[in-house]
Amino acid sequence: MAGFLKVLFRNLLEGPCTDPYPFGKTFSPPSIRGKVLINPELCMGCGMCVYSCTAKAINITPLSDASGYTITVWRNTCCLCASCKHYCPMGAMSISDDWHLAHAADEKYALVERHTIKFTPCSNCGAMIRPLPLPMLKRLYAASDVDPEKIRSLCPKCRQIEAASQIVQNSGADAAKAENS
Amino acid sequence: MTDTLLGIMHMCIFPGGLFALAIGFLFKGIDRRVEARLQRRVGPPLLQPWIDAAKLLTKETMIPKTACRQAFLLAPVFGFTGMAVCAAFIPIAGVFDGLSNMGDLLVIFYLLPIPAIAIMLGGSASSSPFSAIGFSREMLMMLAYETPLLMILLSVAMLVGKSIAGTWGAEFSLLKIVLWQQENGSLGLNPSMIPAFIAYLIFLPGTMGAIPFDIPEAETEIIEGPLLEYGGPLLALFQITSALKTFVVLGLGVALFFPGVISQWWPINLIWFIVKCLVLMLISLTLVKSATGRFRIDQAFRFYITVPMALALCSLILVWVI
Amino acid sequence: MSLDTMLKKLSVSSPWLFRINAGSCNGCDVELATTACIPRYDVERFGCKYCGSPRHADIVLITGPLTARMRDRVLRVWHDIPEPKVTVAVGVCPISGGVFREGYSIRGPIDRYIPVDVNVPGCPPRPQAILESVVLARSIWLKKLGLEK
Repeated sequence: MAGFLKVLFRNLLEGPCTDPYPFGKTFSPPSIRGKVLINPELCMGCGMCVYSCTAKAINITPLSDASGYTITVWRNTCCLCASCKHYCPMGAMSISDDWHLAHAADEKYALVERHTIKFTPCSNCGAMIRPLPLPMLKRLYAASDVDPEKIRSLCPKCRQIEAASQIVQNSGADAAKAENS
Repeated sequence: MTDTLLGIMHMCIFPGGLFALAIGFLFKGIDRRVEARLQRRVGPPLLQPWIDAAKLLTKETMIPKTACRQAFLLAPVFGFTGMAVCAAFIPIAGVFDGLSNMGDLLVIFYLLPIPAIAIMLGGSASSSPFSAIGFSREMLMMLAYETPLLMILLSVAMLVGKSIAGTWGAEFSLLKIVLWQQENGSLGLNPSMIPAFIAYLIFLPGTMGAIPFDIPEAETEIIEGPLLEYGGPLLALFQITSALKTFVVLGLGVALFFPGVISQWWPINLIWFIVKCLVLMLISLTLVKSATGRFRIDQAFRFYITVPMALALCSLILVWVI
Repeated sequence: MSLDTMLKKLSVSSPWLFRINAGSCNGCDVELATTACIPRYDVERFGCKYCGSPRHADIVLITGPLTARMRDRVLRVWHDIPEPKVTVAVGVCPISGGVFREGYSIRGPIDRYIPVDVNVPGCPPRPQAILESVVLARSIWLKKLGLEK
């Protein structure tokens, strides 16, 4: 009896602890999952996010003239599980802390994150490819002396040949160096 | 003729009708605000009951197809009229003597359950199973809290009657009870009346349908019970009735136990009366409401026929003995 | 300003909320309960009240993807709510079906049957986002009353 009276009295003294939101500020914890964002620089269109998305919110469709693809996230069906972020090999998906998602119903289909990503021709053979992002290349060829900048604009086949020839050249140079010394 | 007109004025403007409504809505606003503060919330604005009533007036009224139309429409009017008349019988010490001063305690006792009866009538007329459950619960609650009220009124009447007549007797005029207390000290401080006063404090949340005893209108289990089918202006009328009832039961409590005056000038006395009502409400309704959950109907019934009953009986015996 | 307009303007400050669970997993329902019960969010400061009866409601909060069994009941309860009413879809399920979309027992999304006014996506949405939607619903209610364009 006295216990709850004490609690009530203390509540009265301490005053309300209500957030002034939506008329004032509120807080967002750092780990909050808000809107999903795609970094079009990094996306390769591999489809891992489409496969892992539990709510089928992500869609990758090739353009009709096969010159690229569009990647779409519909926020109205995204359940913020962040598995796309977890499985994306390129790290292109990210979850922002922006949770202001309430909207009038006529904007229902406007709540989309959409990026059209164009292919570029291979500088050697001219096949349409999506060039690997530079950070990824740097990571892939970290152990060898291949210059990632040079092979970036090549299609996978030409890249293999180019990388192999670079490695051979380098090792030849190394061998020559060793002989000279 | 002028007496009749004066009586109607008392029922419609002061202290029944408009004045009681203003006080009732003000109290309900304060009640919600203080309850929120006790729970560390901000709470609604003080004028929220007025805004609620205004909103309900703009909404459409829906009458269920299977309802008994006349009873459904008339029940809120019935409750409202009963309470507006009842409010005119409450004497405000030093301001207003009450509409009648012969046996008005009995009239109040008969008029007090009218809102509950109106709710029961409306609930049973609306032909909904939830309303039927609410109806039976409301009736059980009414039985439970009216009996201690009768004992409380009886003990007060007997104490005053005994003192005035010198022998056995009961005084059923509320005005005379008030005047007697102004001469001989408030009954709330009288040792033999303290149990009755505590019983009255326990009676208040029951009759107001406030939280530990809001079993008939439990919105989480029987979705507002008898008020389920009401909406729009009819529901506003029920809310107005409830506000009037707040005024009546608190005013009755003040008149029975603490009717002292502090000045010769009537506005001061009026404010003093309102302050006393407010304190009574904060103790018996708001404080309890903000810290408790809801009883089950059988628990509430058992509680009412044991605790307040025993306290009131205790007072009655003390009056008899002393 | 006429009395009618004044009452209508006032009425927006007293939105009574009513929840319909259209087969929800209860996640959104818990978030709705927090807006009322946790002092930090306190929905009562806008004059809101969670009411038990659909007849008293002004703003309807629908959660869940509208399952086959719930469909007729939801529609029946929704039609029992007096006009003017504002419908809010809480969570991704009523908006699009969410993770349950195209399931064998799902008849949603809810705007196939009911005109929805406000959407709050999230799984579940934050209590603050729900408060945001209630404020948005109030402005839509004003529009429905013809007081604001």
